[in-house]
Amino acid sequence: MDAVTAMYVAQGIHGLCYGMILFLVASGLTLIFGMMGILNLAHASFFMLSAYFSYTVLKVTGNFWLALLVAPVAAALLGVLLERYLLRRVHAFGHIGELILTVGVALVILEGVKVFWGTENLPLPVPEFLQGLVNIGGMDYPVYRIFIIGLSFSILVILALILYKTRLGMVVRAAVSDADMVNALGVNVPLVFMFVFGAGTWMAGVAGVAIAPILTVFPGLADQMGMDAFIVVVTGGFGSLGGAFLVSIIFGFLSSYGVQFVSTLAPVLMFIFMAIVLVIKPIGLFGERE
Amino acid sequence: MMNSMTKWILWAVLLGMLVIYPRIFGIYYTNVFVTFAIFALFAVSLNLLLGYTGLLSFGHAMFFGTGAYGTALALEHIEGMPLLSAVLIGFFAAVILALILCPIMVRVSVTAFAMLHLAFGQLMFVLALKLRAITGGEDGIGGFPIPPFSIPGIVSIDMTDPSNFYYFAIAVLGVSIWILWFFTKTPFGSIMVGVRDNANRVDYMGFKVPQTKAIIYMFAGGFAGVAGAIYALFQNLIAAGDGFHIIVSFAPIMMTMVGGIGNFFGPVAGAAIFGIIEELTSRYTERVELVMGLILILVIMYAPMGFLGFIQIIKNRWFEKVAAKANTEEAL
Repeated sequence: MDAVTAMYVAQGIHGLCYGMILFLVASGLTLIFGMMGILNLAHASFFMLSAYFSYTVLKVTGNFWLALLVAPVAAALLGVLLERYLLRRVHAFGHIGELILTVGVALVILEGVKVFWGTENLPLPVPEFLQGLVNIGGMDYPVYRIFIIGLSFSILVILALILYKTRLGMVVRAAVSDADMVNALGVNVPLVFMFVFGAGTWMAGVAGVAIAPILTVFPGLADQMGMDAFIVVVTGGFGSLGGAFLVSIIFGFLSSYGVQFVSTLAPVLMFIFMAIVLVIKPIGLFGERE
Repeated sequence: MMNSMTKWILWAVLLGMLVIYPRIFGIYYTNVFVTFAIFALFAVSLNLLLGYTGLLSFGHAMFFGTGAYGTALALEHIEGMPLLSAVLIGFFAAVILALILCPIMVRVSVTAFAMLHLAFGQLMFVLALKLRAITGGEDGIGGFPIPPFSIPGIVSIDMTDPSNFYYFAIAVLGVSIWILWFFTKTPFGSIMVGVRDNANRVDYMGFKVPQTKAIIYMFAGGFAGVAGAIYALFQNLIAAGDGFHIIVSFAPIMMTMVGGIGNFFGPVAGAAIFGIIEELTSRYTERVELVMGLILILVIMYAPMGFLGFIQIIKNRWFEKVAAKANTEEAL
C-alpha cells in the first residue's frame, strides 16, 4: 500500500473514532430531547465530569477498566439526580425554564470542576495493553483508537437492541412519539424519563472516559464536545437517532479530512454543513417534527 | 396611583443622581456603572425576544459582538470617523446580521430557535477567532482612536476622559432603553405579546406573524449592537472572547431571569443585581460564575418570575390584604 492511501486510511480511522465518540454524546442528547422536548445543555458537562472522575479513579487505583466502569455510572447518577430533583420540578414552567436551568447546571459544573481539579490540562496515560500499533493488512493502526471504535460500536448495537427488541425499548419509543398517551396507558412515564436520562448521561460518560487519554482532561472539554454534539442533533433532526448517527460519522470525517486538506476552514466546516442542511430542510436531515 | 407631578419629580431626582454620580463615587465606581448600563441595555434587548415575544436566544452575543466589531473596525480604518456615526455603524452592522438570519429564525420552534442561535453564535465566535486579518483573532482590535464628541462649530468634548465618557454612554444607553420601552407601548408591542401568548390567534386576526417576529428580531439585534458598540468604545478593545463568547450570550439571559422576565425593567434590575454580586464575590473568590450559576438555578426553582416578580407578589399580597379588609368592613 502506498503512502497516500495509507494517509487516507489513517485519517479515516481518526475520523471514524471521533465520529463514534460524537455519536455516544449526541445519541443521549437526542434521546432526551425526543422524550422531554428539551436539549440538555448540561449534557456535555456530564461528559467532562466523567472524564475528571476517570482521572481521579485512575490516579487512586491505576485500573483503567475500573475507571471505565465507575466514572460513567457516577456521572449518570448525578444526571438522574438532576432530572429527578431539578428538571422535573420546573417542567410546569415550560421549555424555556428547563433550558435555562440546564445552563445554570452547566455553569456550576464547569466552575465546580475548576475548584476541585484546577484549570490546567490533566494528562491521562493510554492504558498499557492498549498502547502501540496493530498491523492489519499491511497497515499500522493505533490500538487505542480501534478500541474506542469497537467500544462505541458495541454500545451502539446494545442501544439498538434495547430500543427495538425489548418491551422497555418499545415504551421508550412510544413515549418519544406521545408521552401523554403512554402515561394514560398506565406506564410510569416519569420513571422511564429518568431511566433514559440516566442512560443518556451514562453514554456521554463512557465517551468522556474513552476520549480522555487522547485529548487530556481540561475545563474546555465540555464546550468543545458540547457544541459539536448540539450541531449533530440540530443537523440530524431533533430526536432522530439515525440522523444523529449519520451526521456524527460525517462530522468525524469532515473534521479529520478537513484538517488535512483545508486546515484554515476546518473549524467552520461543520457549521457550513449545518447551514446548508437547515436552509434546505429546517427541521434537520431526519427530523419529523420541530 | 402616582400622579404625573410626582412622576416627573422622581424622574428629575433620578436624572440628578445620574449627573452627580461620578462626582460622588469616583472613577472606579463610575466605570462599574457604565458596565452595568451596557449590560442593562443588552439584557433589555434580549428581553424583547425572551420576555415579550417568547423567543429564547442562546446566541444574542453575536449581535453584541457584531456591533462592537463594527464600531471598532470603523474607527480603526476610517479616518476622522465621528463618534455617533461609529455607534450607528455598530447598530446597523447588527441589524444587517439580524436581517440575514431572520428568514430562517422566524419560522422555527422555540427549542430550534435557541439551538440555532447557539450554533450561529458559536460560528461567529470561531470566525472572529480565525479571520485574523480582519478581527485580530484572540487579541482582538484594540487601541483604535476614540474621537471626541463634537457638534461642528459648537462644542467638542474629549471622550478619553472617563467622566465625560460616562455622560455620553449613559445618554446613548438611556435613550436606547427608552426607545425600546416606547416600542413595547406601541400597538405593535401588543401584537408582540400576542405572538408570545397565542401566535395562531394573532395570525387569524390578520397580522403577519413571521414578519412581526422579524421586525422585533431586528430591533433586539440592533440595540444589542448599540450595547456592544458602547462596550468597544468603553474598553477601547474588542476581542473574540469579550464579544462573541457563549458566556456573553448567557449573561443577559441570567440577568433577565434573575431580574424578572415579565417586566420591562426586570433585566435592568437583573443587571444591577449581577453587577453587585460580581463586585462582592470577586473580593472573596475567583469563581464568580459558580455563584451566578447557583443563583440562576435557585431563581428558576423558587422564584421563576425573578426579583421584580417576587416584589410584585409581596406587594399584591400586602395590598390584597388591605383591600380585602376594606371590603369586609364595607360589607359589615
